[in-house]
Amino acid sequence: MDDSARRLLQRLIRRIPAQMLKTTLEKWGRLTAAQKQSMDFTEPKWAFTERLLDICEENGWTGKHITELEMTYVIDNPNQGMWYAFQLMDPEDDARSVELTHFKEQFKSHLSELARPVSVKIKKHADDAIWIRIAWGDSFSRPNHLKPTYVVHHLQTPYVFVTSLTSKQKPFLSQALVLSTRHQAIKDASLSGRKLGAIRDLLMRQYQQVFPTSYPSPLAERNETVSNPQIEKEQAKSAENRLQMACEAFGDGMLPQLQSSVYKLETKFKDHTNKTMTEREEPFRCVVKFASTNLLESLRHCAASGIASTPVTPLLSSIPLKGRNYFVIKDNGPGPSSQTRQTQN
Amino acid sequence: MERHYSSIARTPTNSLVVKRRTKSKSYRLSYQSCFGAGSRLGLTPALTARRLNTSRRAPKSHNITDKVNAEQLALLVKTEWQLSYVTPLYQFRHTQLKNYSRQLSAFIAAEKQQGLAVEVEGPQGGIRVSFSVVQGMVEAADDAETVLIQIHSKPLFARPDEPQKSVWSGWLTCINGNPDYLHSLPEDFVCLPLFCSSGPENLTTVVKSWFQQNFDCCFGPLDISHTSLQWLVALWTNCHAESSIQHLKMIWTLPVAPPLQITYTVNPQDAWELWSSVRKDPQEENKAGKDVEEDSIDIEEVISFIQALKSHFYRHFRLDLSAGSLNQVSTALGSAKYSGRIKISNSKYMITTLTLLTECALLKMPI
Repeated sequence: MDDSARRLLQRLIRRIPAQMLKTTLEKWGRLTAAQKQSMDFTEPKWAFTERLLDICEENGWTGKHITELEMTYVIDNPNQGMWYAFQLMDPEDDARSVELTHFKEQFKSHLSELARPVSVKIKKHADDAIWIRIAWGDSFSRPNHLKPTYVVHHLQTPYVFVTSLTSKQKPFLSQALVLSTRHQAIKDASLSGRKLGAIRDLLMRQYQQVFPTSYPSPLAERNETVSNPQIEKEQAKSAENRLQMACEAFGDGMLPQLQSSVYKLETKFKDHTNKTMTEREEPFRCVVKFASTNLLESLRHCAASGIASTPVTPLLSSIPLKGRNYFVIKDNGPGPSSQTRQTQN
Repeated sequence: MERHYSSIARTPTNSLVVKRRTKSKSYRLSYQSCFGAGSRLGLTPALTARRLNTSRRAPKSHNITDKVNAEQLALLVKTEWQLSYVTPLYQFRHTQLKNYSRQLSAFIAAEKQQGLAVEVEGPQGGIRVSFSVVQGMVEAADDAETVLIQIHSKPLFARPDEPQKSVWSGWLTCINGNPDYLHSLPEDFVCLPLFCSSGPENLTTVVKSWFQQNFDCCFGPLDISHTSLQWLVALWTNCHAESSIQHLKMIWTLPVAPPLQITYTVNPQDAWELWSSVRKDPQEENKAGKDVEEDSIDIEEVISFIQALKSHFYRHFRLDLSAGSLNQVSTALGSAKYSGRIKISNSKYMITTLTLLTECALLKMPI
C-alpha cells in the first residue's frame, strides 16, 4: 500500500465514530472471519488503524479498496456537509430507457474525457439510488482522494444531489451528467440542506401531503392541551381552519428536515403611511433567512397557531411545493397588480 | 486587605415608598426618584420615575482615538463583553490602583489554594493583575474615569521564558450618567455602574467577590432589553450617513416548536433612507417649540422605524414579527445580544452605545 492509500485509511478511521466501526467493516465485507476476530474494537483508534493497515498489507489491498470502504460509510451516513439539489431539463426521447450499465459506461467515459485525470466509482444502492464518488486530479497531480465529490441520482427521475463540489469542477460534472442521462441541460434546483433524505423526500414529495377537500373534516389535533372549554369551543372553528390550511401548505405528520430557507428580497417598499418610501423608485433590498432544526415543522406551527396568517403566503408554501429553499423575489414587471410576486432564478 | 463593614459604610436601604411616609430628609436619593424629582411635591406623576430616556442625542462621531490611548482602546473594541451592573463603590480610589492590583492577585492566589481551578504556574501562581485608568473616555464632569482590569498568567505548559498572556479582562465605566443621581451620591461613593467582562467565568466570579468584599457593592446581570436593542437599531442606522454600517442585521426568535430563528438583514443604504423617512420634520419640531440645537431622536421615531421594517416583512411573509422577540442586533459598528453581550467594532460611535448601556445599568440597579 502506498503512502497516499495509507493516509486515506488513517483519515477515514479517524472520521468514523468508534461505535460505527464494526458495522461499517461488516458492510464492507472484505475482512475474513479470522481477521474480524482478530480486530479489537475497544482499543484506541491509532492502534486499531495500525492493525487494519497490517491486514491490508497481508491481503495486498490498495487505495481502491479503501475508497470502497469510505463509500460504504458515506452511503450509510450521508448527513455530513451540505447537499445541493440539481434538476435535469429537457429529456431527449430515449432518456427514459437509460439503464444502469449504459449510464455507468457513459458517465465514466464522458467525465474522463472532460476532466482527466479523474477517478470514478459508481455503486447502486438498494433503494435504486446510484452513488458516484469522484476524485479529481489536474495536469500536475493524481486524483485527490482526500476531497472527493459524492453524487446521488435516481435513474428515471430528473434529480441529482451533490456534495463537496467546487465551482471549477461543476461544469465538468454537469456536462457528464447531461450527456450520460440523455438530457439537454441541468440547472440548480435552489434547494440545499444537511440531510440528504430530507431534501430527497421534499423534491420527490415523499411525505404525507394534505389536499383541500370539499368537505373539510377536522384533522385530529396531535397534542390535546387542556384549557378553558369555553375558549376551546369559541376558537375551535378558526383553529381547525388554520390547522387545515397549515397542513395543506406543508404536509401532515413527519416532515422532511430542512434546516434553513433564504429569501433575497428586491421589492419596493409599500406603506400608505410612509409617502417618501412608497414613492421611491429603487427596491428595498434585504435578505431574510429562516432557520430551525426542522424548518417545515416550525413554519407549519406558525401557520397553525396564527403567528403566520392563513392562507399561507406562497413565499413560504413554495418551499415544499416547489421543493426549493433559496428564492430571489422581485416585483412584477410593468403589471397592474402589486400583490403578486414572481420568483425568479 | 481592607474591609469596610462599619454600619456607616453600608448603603442605606431606602425606597421611594419609605421616603413618602416619613417626612425626614432622605440620606440618599434612589435613582428612581431623580426622574420624578418633582413627584415629592406632587407635580410630576410617579410614572415618569423608572424609564429609559425617551429622547437621546443623535450619535456624533467622536474622535475618541485622539483622546484615548490607542493601545487601551484596542483592548476594548472587537471583543465580546458580558455585561453586569454594579452598585456604587465605597471608597474606591483611582489613586490606589497599584495596591488594588496587588490585593486582587493575592486574593486570586488565595482562592486558588481553596480549590479554584485557575491555569497558573509557580508558587505565587504567576498571576499578575493590572488595574489601569482609561483616560479620556469620559466627557461629562460628573463621570468617574473608566478603570480597566487585566489578569495575566502563564499557560500551564509554558516554557520559562514565554511571556504572560492576558487570560481575563474587564472594565468598569460610567459614560454620561444621570447628573442628578451622581450628585445625590454621598462622598466616598464612586459610581461606575457598567461592568464588562471577558474571559473564564470562574475568574469573573472571583473578581466580583473581591469587589464586593472591598467596596461593599453588589453585582447583577444586565440584559439588554427589547427597547434598548431597538434604540441601538435606530442609533446605529443613524450613523450610516457619516460612516457606513455595511448591513443592518436583526435576529428574531419565534416561540414555535421547534423554535424558529429569523435573520433579517437590510441593505444599509435602504435602511438609512427608511430611517430618514420616519424622522420627524425639523420644521414641525420648531413649531412645537422644541429645542433643535442638537439633533435629537425620540422614541416614537425609533418605534416607527421598527414598525416599518416589520410591516415590510409582513407584506411578504404574512408573519408578524411582534409574535417573536428581538434577540440580536448587529452592524459594522458592533453587535448586541439580549443576553447582555456587546461587541463594539468601531470606536467612533462607542460613546453613544456606552451612554445607552450606562443608563440601562443605572436603571437596573436595585437602589
